Amino acid sequence: MNGILKNKKAFLVFLLPALVFYLVSVFYPIAESIRFSFIKWGGLGPKQFVGLQNYVHLFKDKIFYTAFWNNLGYLVIVVGMQILIGLLLAVLLTYLTKGVTLIKTLYYVPCIITAVAVTQLFRSMYATQPEGIINQLLKAIGLGQFATSWLTNVKTVLVCVSIPEGWRYTGMYMVIFYAALISLDPEVCEAARIDGANGWQTLIRVKLPMIKEVMLLTLTMVLTGALRGFDIPFVLTNGGPGNVSELMSTYMYKKAFAGNQFGYGSTIAVFIIIESILVVCVLKVLFTGKDEREERRIQKEQRRMRRKGK
Amino acid sequence: MKKRMVKALLATAVIGSVVMAGNMVAMADDEPITVTWFASRPVDGAIDLAIRQIAQQYSDEHDGNWNLEVITEADRPSYLQKLQTLISGGNMPDIIDIDATPYCQELVDAGMLVDVKQYLNDEGLYDKFEPTALAYQEFTNGTMYTLPLEYHVEMIWYNKEIFAENNVEVPKTMDEWLDVCQKLSDAGVTPISVDGVDRWPVIRYLAMMPFRETGNDYIIDLSEGNASMGDQTGRDGIEFFQKIGKYFQEGFAATDYATAQAMFLDGQSAMYYIGDWEIAAMQEAYENGTIDYFYLPTQEGALTGANEFCVNSGIGMAFNTETFDEKTKDFVNYIIENYGKIYAGMDQMTPIKSDLPEDHEFSDLYLKVRDDMGNIGEHFLKPWDCYLDSNTCTVVNDNALLLATGDIDEDTFVDMVDSALEEYKSGF
Repeated sequence: MNGILKNKKAFLVFLLPALVFYLVSVFYPIAESIRFSFIKWGGLGPKQFVGLQNYVHLFKDKIFYTAFWNNLGYLVIVVGMQILIGLLLAVLLTYLTKGVTLIKTLYYVPCIITAVAVTQLFRSMYATQPEGIINQLLKAIGLGQFATSWLTNVKTVLVCVSIPEGWRYTGMYMVIFYAALISLDPEVCEAARIDGANGWQTLIRVKLPMIKEVMLLTLTMVLTGALRGFDIPFVLTNGGPGNVSELMSTYMYKKAFAGNQFGYGSTIAVFIIIESILVVCVLKVLFTGKDEREERRIQKEQRRMRRKGK
Repeated sequence: MKKRMVKALLATAVIGSVVMAGNMVAMADDEPITVTWFASRPVDGAIDLAIRQIAQQYSDEHDGNWNLEVITEADRPSYLQKLQTLISGGNMPDIIDIDATPYCQELVDAGMLVDVKQYLNDEGLYDKFEPTALAYQEFTNGTMYTLPLEYHVEMIWYNKEIFAENNVEVPKTMDEWLDVCQKLSDAGVTPISVDGVDRWPVIRYLAMMPFRETGNDYIIDLSEGNASMGDQTGRDGIEFFQKIGKYFQEGFAATDYATAQAMFLDGQSAMYYIGDWEIAAMQEAYENGTIDYFYLPTQEGALTGANEFCVNSGIGMAFNTETFDEKTKDFVNYIIENYGKIYAGMDQMTPIKSDLPEDHEFSDLYLKVRDDMGNIGEHFLKPWDCYLDSNTCTVVNDNALLLATGDIDEDTFVDMVDSALEEYKSGF
């Protein structure tokens, strides 16, 4: 048994099936999407190569820009809810001595409810006919003038469509941050306290920097997820009314599957891919501190010298 | 270790091939023929039940060696997307539901659909159908590739009590209709409830004025790129739509079919536009005198008259040329022979001429509507989503909601529709 774990070839054999599956089910469709973005096809008949025509159309398309900015608005709300509220809850949880597991489980439950169920839940809450719980509450506490049809009011629909997604995964990020916070070396926090830091300073100056790696991971997950957000906005409003709550993914779906423009839909998909990659690169750069960059540069130099010396 | 792995792999390969061979032998035996119907009809609705009943009868008569598999997707936009995806992937079902849309024309051009008009003529079954039911299924060039299974008139149902309480009469003209709405609105009543979620009920209102002015000529020209949304007829349509849109219930864009209808039947709105397929739901209120209906009001100087409004034969049934063999043809003929009576017995209007079954009692409402259908004019309003290409249709559907609430203005809407039509014309 030990022999296998040490054998490098064995690693490859065990990794190969998963790798092949990943290539076939993820990589290949992405490559096909990129290929499709240079093609015009309506689902029937021959595919026509059109070069960059789809991309030119993309940058002239007003609705695409609407979808792009809407997506950024959606992103801000979703990231704000999932990271900030998730972190806040995790920090509060670290001060709790009893019932931690119960709270964690309860807060995690929204993650495991299906998207459609979450959508129905929020649809009923936002409704006017029959009156949903939000409007009922507003009227009950005397703020009836704010009661509106949340999903059809063009001023509120985008925010209302973003909130369910944010709410859904807050629990998951709370659990991740909590695990990171309690795994920190308590001696470091002790040392900080001895040096005179109060609770808030310990949190901001000591604990959070120590979970930087986890932060990077969660931000990557949240940001790329928000850029690809689809299921809840699609089922709630389908981008409507008009294109007011249109996101890039719902617009892509509309163009490809409702409008029968598979080439153009693929172009939008490629844009989403490139945007997500860019965001991750930017994140990596931001999170790599100056010292780390200096260290890496030195290591690179040393390797180069070693190779030359050989 | 290596030897054991090789042995294990060999064993798996042998067992695997034996299992596969076994399956193939099983398939070679005589299996019952299955015809798949990818349907866009509500499950357990009248059509679904009628066809299943007929299929069961047919299967019994053929000793169970034939059966119909029905796969349903009742939400029309999802159905169309799924259908398009199936066809793009080369998996077109044997029987599908489709309107005579530009997409249907593409399927016809690719030779994928059976020429139903020719088929009915060849089999001598053409005259068994109501002429308007067939005319509705035709393309503008007179060809027909879909079979009608329904026959409907659409009307505006109104609450008699609310009308009486507010001293308003049934409107005869479009202007009178707007006046009635205004009076009701002033009195604090919701004049009209409408289902915004499904989009098509809202688009009906947009199509009304152009139909009155030109019949279907305007929308035909528009969909073919020979007219603009900004032409006078288009603008008249938009202006009427904007005026009547003010009288829809608040938040109509998020109200679904069932809720809009329930609002009307509960007396929370004064009027509701829906077709005779909801007779069963309207029955009770009609019988105790709470509700009644009127047809689309007229417009002075209009092309189409009072007995001309939306008469349709619903989404049609189309057949895959590849699988339209003798057995399927026999089944289709069987449907045409038996469908009329069974469907009428479910309190529905049948597109296939038949006598009413004697063993079923028909209500006054049913008989009245049936009479009306015998008096319709030559022109019938064909829904815009049957003419427009998928992309323009989506643009119109999405933005009409904003137009009705006043969140976009007439010119913006005209630009959006014209751009979408331009894209279609340029073959984008």
